[in-house]
Amino acid sequence: MDVLLDNLGTFAEGVATTVELTTLSFLGALAISLVIVTFRVSPVRPLRLFGTAYVEVFQNVPLLLWILFFVFGLPKLGIRFELFTTAVLAVAMYSAAYYAEALRTGINTVAAGQAEAARALGLGFGQSLRWVVLPQALRSVVQPLGNLTVMLLMNTALAAGAGLVELSTAANRVNLVEAEPILIFSGAAVVYALLALLITTATRLLERRLVIHR
Amino acid sequence: MLVLTCAIATLSTAAACSPEPGALPGAPGSTGQGIIDRAPVATAEAIAASPTASAIKQRGQLLIGGSLDAPLLSQQNPATGETEGFDATLGKLLAKYIIGSPDAKIVNSSSETREALLQNSTVDVVFQTYTITPQRAQKVAFAGPYLMSGQAIATMKDKTAIKKPSDLNGKKVIAGANTPGIEAIKQQAPNADIVSFATDPECVQALEQNRGEAYVQDLTLLAASARLNDKLQIVGEPFTSDPYGIGLKLGDDAFKRFVNDWLVQLQQAGIWQQVWKDSLGTVVSGEAPAPPAIGSVPGS
Repeated sequence: MDVLLDNLGTFAEGVATTVELTTLSFLGALAISLVIVTFRVSPVRPLRLFGTAYVEVFQNVPLLLWILFFVFGLPKLGIRFELFTTAVLAVAMYSAAYYAEALRTGINTVAAGQAEAARALGLGFGQSLRWVVLPQALRSVVQPLGNLTVMLLMNTALAAGAGLVELSTAANRVNLVEAEPILIFSGAAVVYALLALLITTATRLLERRLVIHR
Repeated sequence: MLVLTCAIATLSTAAACSPEPGALPGAPGSTGQGIIDRAPVATAEAIAASPTASAIKQRGQLLIGGSLDAPLLSQQNPATGETEGFDATLGKLLAKYIIGSPDAKIVNSSSETREALLQNSTVDVVFQTYTITPQRAQKVAFAGPYLMSGQAIATMKDKTAIKKPSDLNGKKVIAGANTPGIEAIKQQAPNADIVSFATDPECVQALEQNRGEAYVQDLTLLAASARLNDKLQIVGEPFTSDPYGIGLKLGDDAFKRFVNDWLVQLQQAGIWQQVWKDSLGTVVSGEAPAPPAIGSVPGS
């Protein structure tokens, strides 16, 4: 246990980076996915095509490659962000594809009559999506969104590829000196499990409040 | 689709950043068939004195924890499938010493897993620029040291602000993930901001893209990178001393004696020096250095 306590500073820094990375990527992914899902169900064909292409491209290439592309590829094209920004962008854009698909499932659960009623009331596409369809869709996919967020948390470990000292890199660095892999990585695993538990608990509370009983 | 094409293009450029086949240590022929023929084979008594060596001989294969992507030390040649370099050749020689033929299999291991691989007997030995430290010596036994190296600093040629380790203070410094470089920087320049990338080519690319002002890495690896990339320069001398050891299972004293005996035989026959010339010697100028004295550092 001493190994973990002696290196508390390094671990705390790593945990903080992981939490920050997860929170910002989550917010980014949610925002992007709302746009993408709107495109996917919109009546305008080019937007629909763009939405589909986005989801296909981001779902079909592993996140690690996206991170490496963002870190090493974009600067070659003359675009360079800070490492942290780069990691947030890559994780958010990748996760957004999955969030968008979950949201689309949610939209499919909303009865067609709801959209028709909204139309009959004189609401346009955007208005009916915002006031009638999306609120119901979001409520029915709280659980899958929570699961995807746990996945996003685990995926942030790949940001080590972008040079960020998040929890898994911090564990690596401590192990490099202490050579106690089993204890150190078990410690890191416990922290990941606790963070995931936090997300699932929040999801459960949200679901209990928001679920629509049909 | 455009993004995807770019991603693929970048990946292939990244591949192009790794050493071209011509720069591989010991290009065709010098993988050391000659050296392997000259290398010693242990006597029956020596084998019998170590249960581990007897078990390996019976199995007919030496299992080595090592790398496949470390230029000059242990890198797989895509053309031949052979693993070449200083560590890789020594591994083959140890296999010949025990079994009679250079029958060694490299199990790709990493800095995070090698202690565990030794402890659970997945591998017999670890040849992986494994720096001997007193902390590590509590978990594994080290034969050797078999090579002395050190951390050095590289910068782009157009940068002149960094001349010595203390100049790294307050700067962004790139280091390989899980390398002793990270500790070395922390000691010499506590205020440096360390950024680490997984592989050596990634670190070099990050340096080129100005994600850090200097790159700290083992001198042998830096020399290999600097030869491939003429925008890179090595600043000053190595500022640490990293004795590399052969990782063995903790407590197996008979096998440690056995491996140390073998190292001494290689050194005395001049084979160690030849292996060095064929690998590291292709980028480091001058004669082969004097091999380190066995057991000369704490932990060995």
